[in-house]
Amino acid sequence: MMERKERKPYWRHTKWQMLASLVPFLVLIIVLPLYAESLNAKRFLGFPLGYFLGAHGIAAIAIFTVVSFVNRQDAIDRWHGAHEDT
Amino acid sequence: MSVTSRTRFVNPRLGTYFGIFVSSLTGLVILLLIFEELGTASGPLRWAMLLGPLALYVAIGLCAPTQEPLEFFAAGRRVPAGYTGLGIGVASMGATGIAALTGAFFLIGFDALCLTIGGLAGFVVMSVMLAPFFRKFGTFTVPSYLGRRFESKPVRLLSAALLAVPALLMIAAELRMGAFAAGWLVGQPQSLMIILLSVVFVAVGVVGGMRSLTWSGSAAAIAAVLALLVPVTIVAVMVSNFPLPQLTNGPLLRALMHLEGAQGVPISDATPLAFALPGEGISSIAKRFTAPFGAIGPTAFVVAMLTVMAGIASSPWLIPRVTMTPGVYETRKSLGWATVYFALITLTAAAVAVYMRDYVMDMVREQPASLPDWVRQLVEFGLVSADSASPPTYTGLGFARDGVLMALPVAAEMPKVVLYLAATGIVAAAVVGASAAASALGNVAAEDGVNGLSWEPLARKARVHLGRLAIAGVAVVGGLFTLLAPTDPLRLMLWSLALTASTFFPVLVLSIWWKRMNAFGAIAGMSCGFGVALLTILAAEAGIVGLDGALAGLFGMPAGALGATLASVTTPGPSRSMLELVREIRIPGGEVIYDREMRLLRLKNRERA
Repeated sequence: MMERKERKPYWRHTKWQMLASLVPFLVLIIVLPLYAESLNAKRFLGFPLGYFLGAHGIAAIAIFTVVSFVNRQDAIDRWHGAHEDT
Repeated sequence: MSVTSRTRFVNPRLGTYFGIFVSSLTGLVILLLIFEELGTASGPLRWAMLLGPLALYVAIGLCAPTQEPLEFFAAGRRVPAGYTGLGIGVASMGATGIAALTGAFFLIGFDALCLTIGGLAGFVVMSVMLAPFFRKFGTFTVPSYLGRRFESKPVRLLSAALLAVPALLMIAAELRMGAFAAGWLVGQPQSLMIILLSVVFVAVGVVGGMRSLTWSGSAAAIAAVLALLVPVTIVAVMVSNFPLPQLTNGPLLRALMHLEGAQGVPISDATPLAFALPGEGISSIAKRFTAPFGAIGPTAFVVAMLTVMAGIASSPWLIPRVTMTPGVYETRKSLGWATVYFALITLTAAAVAVYMRDYVMDMVREQPASLPDWVRQLVEFGLVSADSASPPTYTGLGFARDGVLMALPVAAEMPKVVLYLAATGIVAAAVVGASAAASALGNVAAEDGVNGLSWEPLARKARVHLGRLAIAGVAVVGGLFTLLAPTDPLRLMLWSLALTASTFFPVLVLSIWWKRMNAFGAIAGMSCGFGVALLTILAAEAGIVGLDGALAGLFGMPAGALGATLASVTTPGPSRSMLELVREIRIPGGEVIYDREMRLLRLKNRERA
């Protein structure tokens, strides 16, 4: 169980982790499709690059974001003793 | 990776059970393939392909009956991350996400990505900002959570009432899409199929509530994913000798771009707020596949993406599913799985569209004197329309948007059973999507509607029986609503997501991340968001504003956020107990808040007795 005085640092840490996970991801998904047309001139695996990044790239980045968030947040929980009983 | 001890509740034989399910399904398909080769008439094959899998889902549901409220409303909190993620990933867009999305990719190419990126971002936002905290709170429905969080019955009742609208729209979208595929498969009217799907939902849901719905839904989700993957994987092996259609359609796409250039497919430029998503029914190829923003303008693309994101992240029929995982850590992980499954589905849909477009463009390039066999067959099935031009041109060919997925096995000249399998996959996804929305609405009706004025739940037995009654009631209401509202399913789903995004997203996010928020803020936020979004949709449908109804979130979401903040700031701050509650939600460890409340209630009642 977590100590009372740990609550504030824990929540500060969690807030920063939330921002670190979401802000780059949201910026990327909004900006990337807008540049798809110019990226389409290049190719990757035969795909036009703009389409490839929009479809496969964002999917891979979304999965990576969730996986890294799960691991980082679990480490934060443990560091502050806020994790579930094991 | 750590393993919380709560995973000990998880049934260790789940893998075996679903292995048995997958082999029965495979057995059925192979058996029907053999019968087809032996010359059985197509009628019995079609019926077997529709009713066989449905019977399996119902059988799985009947194997999981329950009398306990925790089992009935939260599947006993022992659904592991993988199965929860599969359920959320498939239910988020359901059959509409599989069939209509494939068609949208086929007809407008790149521009359909706004829906898939929105869905992926929805899971990311849900896992980071909402789901773990909702799991710690542990209530069975979103209105119960909002009511307890703001210690206010009006908030609870209002959110329950507002939730019914997007949930009914979603049920209608899923049932209509499922009825389209099922009706096509067996040649029966769609209304009959809507009734059949509702009966399947009631048969499963009444027996064991969320417990039976979760397990039979997992089976249906597996069937949907397999039925989507199998035909296109076979095509991929035929075309590129490599069974990974999602990654190997690149060279084909390149050839397709050359073909499109030679045939003069236009590269159009849409106005920033244009939102020309193909509608239900027959339409022809509108633009080149990879050229962005030909049908949907750049601004509309971003708005639609953010609307779908917020709608999925806060959808009141997906969030309660995370309370069924064994713990907060598992909840976060389950959304990782949801992202994986959703990405797999959407990338496969895009691959189907590329292969299908390639078949069509190749046929047009060869300039045959008459239509080839597979096109004539598709015309016969009602999935394609062709004018009498000879040689055929791509503008003379029209495609039913929701039939593109089923057209691929015909174009690849595969046995008919593979085509029926694709149709049955759409039905399976519709079962998952419709039962997710309908069960959430049923639980809300039982918990927050009938019993909404009391914090104390009914006695154990009465509570479960009321839940069963509500599920049956919702099936009747949802079925009737679907029969009465014959609109394009994709449009219905987008409206539903826009309403959810405007009503619930700002309030749910702020209820966790902003301590100062109070009940007035919640009421103002929900009513402003809902009102503005609904008015925008109605005005758009009436042609008053030059904006598509699906983009209602453009005004609805800021209205909801603004209403919630302003009303909270101008009214007295939250009480001490409310602040203490928020602090507790934010910490994963410790007892689930709702379970503790129920435990204390039981103790109190025992003392009184």
